[in-house]
Amino acid sequence: MDNKRFEQLLLTVQKPGRYSGGEINSVIKDKSKVDVRFAFCFPDNYEVGMSHLGMKILYSEFNEREDIWCERVFAPWPDFESVMRNNNIELFALESRDPVKDFDFLGFTLQYELSYSNILNMLELAGIPILAKDRTDFSPIVVAGGPCTCNAEPIADFIDIFFLGEGEKTDLQVIDLYKEFKKNGGTKADFLVAASKIEGVYVPSLYDVSYNDDKTVKAVTPKFGAPMPVKKRIEEDLDKTYYPEKFVVPFIEIVHDRAVEEIFRGCIRGCRFCQAGFIYRPVREKSVDTVCRQAKAICDSTGYDEISLSSLSTSDYSDLENLLNNLLSWTEKDKISLSLPSLRIDNFSDELLEKINHVRKSGLTFAAEAGTQRLRDVINKNITEDEIVKTCKTAFKGGYTAVKLYFMIGLPTETYDDIKGIADLAQKIVDTFYEMPDKPKGKSVSVNISVSNFVPKPFTPFEFHSQITREEIIKKQEYLKQCIRSKKISFSYHENKTSFLEGVFARGDRRLGKVILKAHEKGCRFDSWDEYFDLQKWMDSFAECGIDPAFYANRERSYDEVNPWDHLDYYVSKEFLIKENERAKVGKTTPNCRLQCQNCGANILGKGVCVENR
Amino acid sequence: MFALKTVRLFFVKKGNARFVSHLDMNRFMTRIVRKAGLDIWYTEGFNPHPYITFALPLPLGFEGRYEIMDIRLNNDDFDISKLVSMLNGVCPSDIQFFDAKEPIKKVGEIAFAKYEILFDDNGEIRNKLNSFLVKKPIICRKRTKKGDFKEIDLSEKIKDFQTTLEGDNTKLMLILPAGSNDNVNPSILFEAFYNENPNAYYCYDVKRISILDKNLKDFL
Ligand code: SF4
Repeated sequence: MDNKRFEQLLLTVQKPGRYSGGEINSVIKDKSKVDVRFAFCFPDNYEVGMSHLGMKILYSEFNEREDIWCERVFAPWPDFESVMRNNNIELFALESRDPVKDFDFLGFTLQYELSYSNILNMLELAGIPILAKDRTDFSPIVVAGGPCTCNAEPIADFIDIFFLGEGEKTDLQVIDLYKEFKKNGGTKADFLVAASKIEGVYVPSLYDVSYNDDKTVKAVTPKFGAPMPVKKRIEEDLDKTYYPEKFVVPFIEIVHDRAVEEIFRGCIRGCRFCQAGFIYRPVREKSVDTVCRQAKAICDSTGYDEISLSSLSTSDYSDLENLLNNLLSWTEKDKISLSLPSLRIDNFSDELLEKINHVRKSGLTFAAEAGTQRLRDVINKNITEDEIVKTCKTAFKGGYTAVKLYFMIGLPTETYDDIKGIADLAQKIVDTFYEMPDKPKGKSVSVNISVSNFVPKPFTPFEFHSQITREEIIKKQEYLKQCIRSKKISFSYHENKTSFLEGVFARGDRRLGKVILKAHEKGCRFDSWDEYFDLQKWMDSFAECGIDPAFYANRERSYDEVNPWDHLDYYVSKEFLIKENERAKVGKTTPNCRLQCQNCGANILGKGVCVENR
Repeated sequence: MFALKTVRLFFVKKGNARFVSHLDMNRFMTRIVRKAGLDIWYTEGFNPHPYITFALPLPLGFEGRYEIMDIRLNNDDFDISKLVSMLNGVCPSDIQFFDAKEPIKKVGEIAFAKYEILFDDNGEIRNKLNSFLVKKPIICRKRTKKGDFKEIDLSEKIKDFQTTLEGDNTKLMLILPAGSNDNVNPSILFEAFYNENPNAYYCYDVKRISILDKNLKDFL
């Protein structure tokens, strides 16, 4: 399509800047001078995808190599999708506007289960066969990485290669192998077998899955010498891990439009509901020097005036005081504001608040997760009510008047008392504000409770539990609403429908592939967007495939059941998960990695927190 | 003690940058001046940000050949002849500066803008345009602040126009009121034109080539 016509069409859709490219620091290369063209595909819209750190890392890392040109592709919003379909525009990459079907690789990132239907839609828009087995040409090879690969069995039919764990090294090794095969004229089948030998590579077509009469998985059997189990890959030393000096700076406003500096990977805490807390083990930190150097480089290359420190639990960084002092020594002068998401309530000190006061004041948010101490002990969220109240007090003294608290409903062992506990806790915070003699004058307080629905995830101690049904979710949400008495408390909650589908996919197996294909044919896409999510289409697809979604979401698993993800090794042992689940049942907490190692299995790697001096 | 120095910067906005809205331009330029390392004056107050103002917003999709923004430098000794290369060094190729000088006129003196529009020509579009643009009245639909439409007559507002043939295209030069007193977006004129001439080939290329004062002199 000629550019004039294309640009004319762009003017007919919302936010044409999503598709135009040409941003600061986007990379243009001469395609005749590169060996490998990689389309990094984010299965959501531009604003969401451009906010994602993993894409920024790999985009820069790949493009640093002269022989690779990595470009960006996002899911076209439905208005532009219909323009594309009506005008026969195939899915293209932003930088070159070339159709991605001519690329060597399409790489999808799997950040959440509800983006699966977008992957199928993007393959279709690209004019590429959706099923991996129908893609007989050598290229493009369709690969996928990201957290959901720890159980991406539901989309195994559509993907040639999954990358398990951290991709910085695995991806480039696979690209190099591909170059060799391309040069020597090898077949795709041989390439996939060879690739499966690289650490962190999982080629789903090299594993056969058999099932028991009760529909559970019987066994997963490797073929052609593929490894068993398949191990995830980690970066061993974050000070030596590639980190970009430049971010592409979007023209249009995106969700997180700021510099991001990752300060560590993994989490010491072991909250039992949290998948990220287990699959990224062990904790590995960057040094203060590395963080400061990298953060400065990104600010200089982008002109951003805000930098966010990224990790799963920022206040657990072992030398936060020193880190903040170092950063503040130049950010204040350069008028850069610091933001520290993911703070924990228990170690939120007056000094830390003092430091945060140097930076931009937005509302304070805390994850309390459950309303009663009993349930917080069950989920191993090691914080007490006193700590929560004390922290809010500290924040109020510091001039904050709005607090947002995150909770979940549907946690294992939860009763209606625990639900009421959410409202009681919020009330206590409101009361605390009014009881303070030195409360900010003439101001009123607002406590927002944001309630999501618990979804049991693989590689967590709760992977055995059933998810509560949609009806129960609604009942509990209604009950919570009734328990709230103060106008100072606002309440927001998540849709039960999307949580249900997420629950099905999270612990699903390969038989769900045909359901996803069917739903795609019925037009499902952008499922994580309420305005496009259509549960009926999904339920029809389940029914037509003869599959009961409750089997995946609402069924309790026994310890000896073979899980669809058991052949994938994230170093956290099943014995450890079982032990943790048993402790949960009796409300026993587990100390964090720094206090006492629990031998979860990640110590085999001999890195990070597992080998720290305690 | 330094005094602040206001500088007027002139730039071109073309190609992919045409899809950047006016609101987004503000954020974009904030980053550009920061990235260029300029010692620029920040507004005071709750949320300080670099002082940047644009003389005249450019509608989405238009190319701008004579775009103007004002900034304030903290150091009035700064050699402003260096600004163009400093800023272009950090700008994408579709936004490029071509001049920097101390402002001569006030933004309120802007009265007109001059546009150049290219039409795919099917041989008769030039005649159609010529007869359309001299009609009285030329009824167009204008969006009001409330979001609905009202009808207005643009025949008196067209300050000047001229059509020429250029290769396969017809080129229209058009001068319309612009600025804070009276502002006419040429799109509403084209919309009326296409309503009357549904078979006319679509224009694909609108450039705003200059910003003028009431005497049709360049705004400087
Ligand atoms: S082995 Fe011990 S220190 Fe290492 S991640 Fe597991 S529990 Fe934490």
